[in-house]
Amino acid sequence: MGSKVEAMTLSMGPQHPITGHFRFILEIDGDIVLKLEPDIGYTHRGIEKVAEYRTYIQNLPVVERVNSYCDSMGTLLGYPRVLEELMGIEVPERAKYLRVIAAELNRIASHLYAICLVAISTGFETMLMWTINDRELILDLLEMLTGQRITLTYPTVGGVRYDLPQAFKEEALKRLSYLERRLEDYRKMMLENHTFKMRTQGVGVLKPSDAIRLGIVGPNLRASGVKADVRKDEPYEVYDRMDFEIPVLKNWDCYDRALIRALEIEQSIRIVKQALKELPEGPIRARIPPLPPKGEAYSRVEAARGEFGYYLVSDGKDKPYRLRIVSPSFRNLIALPFLCRNVPLADVPIIYISLDLIPLDVDR
Amino acid sequence: MHRGVEEELLKAIKEGLADALVEAKVWRPQRIEVRVKAEKLIEAARFLRDKLGFDHIAAVTGVDYPEKRMIEVIYHVWSTGRMVMLALKTEASRDKPSLPSLVNVWEGALYHERETHEMLGVNFEGHPNLSLLLLPEDWDWSSKGYPLRKDFVLKEE
Amino acid sequence: MALALIRKKLVNLAPIRGLLNWGRAWSLWSVHLETGCCGPEDMAKSCARFDLERWGCLPFPVLRECDLIFVTGLVTKKMAKRLKLVYEQIPEPKYVIALGDCAISGGFWYDSYSVVQGVDKVIPVDVYVPGCPPRPEAWTQALLMLQEKIRGERLA
Repeated sequence: MGSKVEAMTLSMGPQHPITGHFRFILEIDGDIVLKLEPDIGYTHRGIEKVAEYRTYIQNLPVVERVNSYCDSMGTLLGYPRVLEELMGIEVPERAKYLRVIAAELNRIASHLYAICLVAISTGFETMLMWTINDRELILDLLEMLTGQRITLTYPTVGGVRYDLPQAFKEEALKRLSYLERRLEDYRKMMLENHTFKMRTQGVGVLKPSDAIRLGIVGPNLRASGVKADVRKDEPYEVYDRMDFEIPVLKNWDCYDRALIRALEIEQSIRIVKQALKELPEGPIRARIPPLPPKGEAYSRVEAARGEFGYYLVSDGKDKPYRLRIVSPSFRNLIALPFLCRNVPLADVPIIYISLDLIPLDVDR
Repeated sequence: MHRGVEEELLKAIKEGLADALVEAKVWRPQRIEVRVKAEKLIEAARFLRDKLGFDHIAAVTGVDYPEKRMIEVIYHVWSTGRMVMLALKTEASRDKPSLPSLVNVWEGALYHERETHEMLGVNFEGHPNLSLLLLPEDWDWSSKGYPLRKDFVLKEE
Repeated sequence: MALALIRKKLVNLAPIRGLLNWGRAWSLWSVHLETGCCGPEDMAKSCARFDLERWGCLPFPVLRECDLIFVTGLVTKKMAKRLKLVYEQIPEPKYVIALGDCAISGGFWYDSYSVVQGVDKVIPVDVYVPGCPPRPEAWTQALLMLQEKIRGERLA
């Protein structure tokens, strides 16, 4: 008597208390997931179309909200850069250093949030509380700089909007030293925790050749053994003068994807300290012509989740003709159905969270 | 740092693509643009991936040019070995836009092509699943249109 | 029948009504609906620095045990149906706080083709909190305003 596999379709619906609206349609047989189909679009705002109806400067906060969820600087920095490339503007030195400082602080905050989500998915409430509180330290610094905690809108075309306040440097150095000591606590509490290791090691292994073939970017790519980072491959602002390393890991699983974010926080702290020491005096904004010329440009920036690309086609008018926003989570999305084949059901949230997909970023 | 790589690549592309090529030029360091004919798209893509090492797909963009009566589709591909970004451009006619799908060349283009299809109406032949991705489930293209085309107008202010 | 009428009158007597409303106002359990960029403030508000649990607001994953929805951020047309479903699954009495400019009236996306212009077109809202995103202190004030509203309600 032959037996047939009867797969059941299960929908993990759009409302779930992790990172916003994202639906998985799973085909399961018993406890094993045979196939996963992501259903996205629950936070789609049509930013690429809306951007064609706003002037270039009006677009700065609009484009930022693609992912001001955790990483406002990483999301926004590429947009003024693509205009500066088109118009041929050189940003002043002080503005470049300030952009780097704000971008790295935002990267630290975003990685702390990512570690928090990894902790929730494995049931680790203590780490949730620790990381969110340590993130408050960084958000205070950003608020001192720009007045806002999350949606900073800090870079503008030609430079940055605000200069460093007086007490910023001492405060930043104090808080960053505290954060370095905390990373040791994270290592002991979470990364060396036996249960956490059991749940994440060996789960969702993504080989380097598959990662490149699928177009994966960011810490996911580096945790899969590929040394690729826009800050070293195509240095922008003052990253070519900064002394930092790109960590690359060997086991390619969910544990590595969590570990690499902690390692990148260390490197970011190094960059911010060096940038604060070397910060030159000078203007923070360059004069810009009223309209960009006709033409096209593609800019790449390393946001916290990976490479953020902007492709701009300009026809010489005051609104963009076509603005294509290539967000890292949209590029990483394809790893999810690829990794969730023939895995136990309990591994699906862990794989999803370790890839750090933010639905806002995916849908734009 | 990459001086000369772009010129070498341009020479190799002109020799390798021959009659499929319409135009090739260098924008600036680390940016090359190549325009090919739509019928030869798949073989051009395979040549670029296998012989020249353009392996990391970045984006698929569609741009609507109603006056020229065409929709331009651009594949941005990065080469991890040579650190150069290539813009592979091709055109489809605006009335019935149809291009061969490059999913078998660059698997990462799966969701990008699906989004370009739903936003601009370009049919990618050979793509496994061209259903709605980001738009609401009851979106009807024949009555509401394609959002990123220029004749789809948002609410006036 | 007469018993029901007496119970209705009794429950609205000042001391009993005050006690019941006090109990309800100080234990509002909330559902996560983190749509937009206001999301991380949702996380921040429940944690140690801005602890909203001091006023009884616990984020709880089971819908049937909650009374409050914080709609943080925009609602798209695709999500609107599901939002209504979530709202209908919560037992009465239930309340909704709309946080952020996008939830109040569409915000930045006033001309987008896929955004609902304000969550009150889908579900009824009790408190509106402007801001982009509103600070966690504003969330606290919203909760306190809702508590005042609940204290003054008639039961049955």
